[in-house]
Amino acid sequence: MEKRFEHNGFGKRLGSMLKVDFRRLFTSRIFYIIVGACLVMPILILVMTTMMDGMETTDPQTGEVSVIEGFDNTWQIIGTVVSESDMNAMSSMGAMDGADSGTDVAASSDAGAGMDLMSMCNINLLFFGIAVLVCLFVAEDFRSGYAKNLFTVRAKKTDYVASKTIAGFVGGALMLLCFFVGALAGGAIAGLPFDMTGFGIAELVMCMLSKLLLIAVFVPIYLAVSVAAKQKAWLSILGSMGIGMLLFMMIPMLTPLNATVMNVGLCLAGGAMFSIGLGAVSNVILKKTSLV
Amino acid sequence: MNAIEIRDLTKTFGQKQALSGLNMTVPEGAIYGFIGENGSGKSTTEKLICGLIHKSGGEIKLFGKDHTDPDVRAKVGVLIEAPGCFPGLTVWNNLMLQAANLSIKDPETQIRKILKTVRMEGAASNKYKNCSLGMKQRIGIAMALLGEPTLLVLDEPINGLDADGMRIMREVLTDVTQNHGCTVVISSHVLGELEKIATHYGIVRGGKMLCEMTADQLEADCRTFVALQTRELSKTRSLLCAKYSRVEEDESGYLRVYDAGSPEEVVTYLYENGILVSEIKTDKIGLEEYYIDLMSAKEGR
Repeated sequence: MEKRFEHNGFGKRLGSMLKVDFRRLFTSRIFYIIVGACLVMPILILVMTTMMDGMETTDPQTGEVSVIEGFDNTWQIIGTVVSESDMNAMSSMGAMDGADSGTDVAASSDAGAGMDLMSMCNINLLFFGIAVLVCLFVAEDFRSGYAKNLFTVRAKKTDYVASKTIAGFVGGALMLLCFFVGALAGGAIAGLPFDMTGFGIAELVMCMLSKLLLIAVFVPIYLAVSVAAKQKAWLSILGSMGIGMLLFMMIPMLTPLNATVMNVGLCLAGGAMFSIGLGAVSNVILKKTSLV
Repeated sequence: MNAIEIRDLTKTFGQKQALSGLNMTVPEGAIYGFIGENGSGKSTTEKLICGLIHKSGGEIKLFGKDHTDPDVRAKVGVLIEAPGCFPGLTVWNNLMLQAANLSIKDPETQIRKILKTVRMEGAASNKYKNCSLGMKQRIGIAMALLGEPTLLVLDEPINGLDADGMRIMREVLTDVTQNHGCTVVISSHVLGELEKIATHYGIVRGGKMLCEMTADQLEADCRTFVALQTRELSKTRSLLCAKYSRVEEDESGYLRVYDAGSPEEVVTYLYENGILVSEIKTDKIGLEEYYIDLMSAKEGR
């Protein structure tokens, strides 16, 4: 007589996989360290740069004197305001050049005047931090040998890929929100103005929403690299950051402080496309390669 | 029905052929002792059964279904090489993770029961990385037993276990097969221990199955011998060698005569040649000696 086995649909399998991933995420020390760093980092950046604002430094070789410029506005650490003419200039410069122009735009914009190096010390850097979180999270599955337990009872790799994408997204979103809260606290402590010239509360919400949805573009990239690198966390982090670097400059363009529904839609579409497309790639990698 | 049915299984790693047309049949409810030298293909076969590596050719069926069937695979418990646990988590949290992975309802009760079964209830709050090798092995067995699997695949589970651990392992495996209808595939080099629990055997060599047999067949195949002791061991040995074709001395100092008709025949023969036998018994060779004999025969020794 044929033995009967309980049928588990995709929903149930994904549910149990998500339970594992969230349990792991919220009980791992590294997650709280990263999230804590996201909270503290903007406070330190804003307070320290404000303290050093206007300080003169002299190059010992050339004798050239330069003045350290701090943030003029708290929102500079969140993003930049992009005007229509800037967008036109960017589109005429092409995608990769547009990357550099993202900073230029920032420099010429209302809220982002005089940013230069400061424009790099903003919330967008977190997209690299998310790479660290995703890569360590996935690598630990393989390094500990837990992948054996997971994949023995999970013949379909889709559950793993979908669950890791969702967990990575949630982890990344929490990092982003912590940074935002840290930025508000840092701005208040440093006594910086919360000047909203060129954008309003609604645009700021759209900006944060776009950034959150943009995580769904980056997480599948990091996941695909991580499942290819398996237990080699260093390789997946390097690979993820390398690939992430190519897309990094699109972040300020897609998620300006004066973001609209269009930006949210673009990020949502991009997130969905990357999650499905690269999810399929991760699935194939897991199916074709050894899991131990 | 067979729990596992493997036909013409092949696996290559680059240029190296790990399995070359392996066939294997494991009946439902059996404790299948999977024996072979290092590198013979035992672990590779077990990893293939669990879908952890991908086969190059052949067919693997679990309970009549393809081994990639998610519903069948959801009921497979595994302990291959080392237990897959997160070192920084406690034993309890590692088991809770696996319980979540298996969608177990009321995981606390089941984990408590399993920890008690493997005598690890006192170590639930220990961090996995702080556990000894034997404890880790018991945790691995507990992980494999979670979710009441229908098939258990265990690779060298006895490694690192003390005498008590081995006894527990025997009890657990006998219980899951006899009372819960579970099928167990267990590979081990500790053949003496395997012999105490296995109902079926498969001997693999060079990526091929040399032979499969039940414990009863092994019992029948294992030759009997007459073991004896005298005061003049070397003279006795010469005399016995003159009459019998296979005479060996074992590690306890007994002379073993494999092709003697009966103990009386040997005693009479030695008495007629002036040798007094101080001790005599009949015995059978064990799995270990059977295995060594089989390997030697294949090597033409």
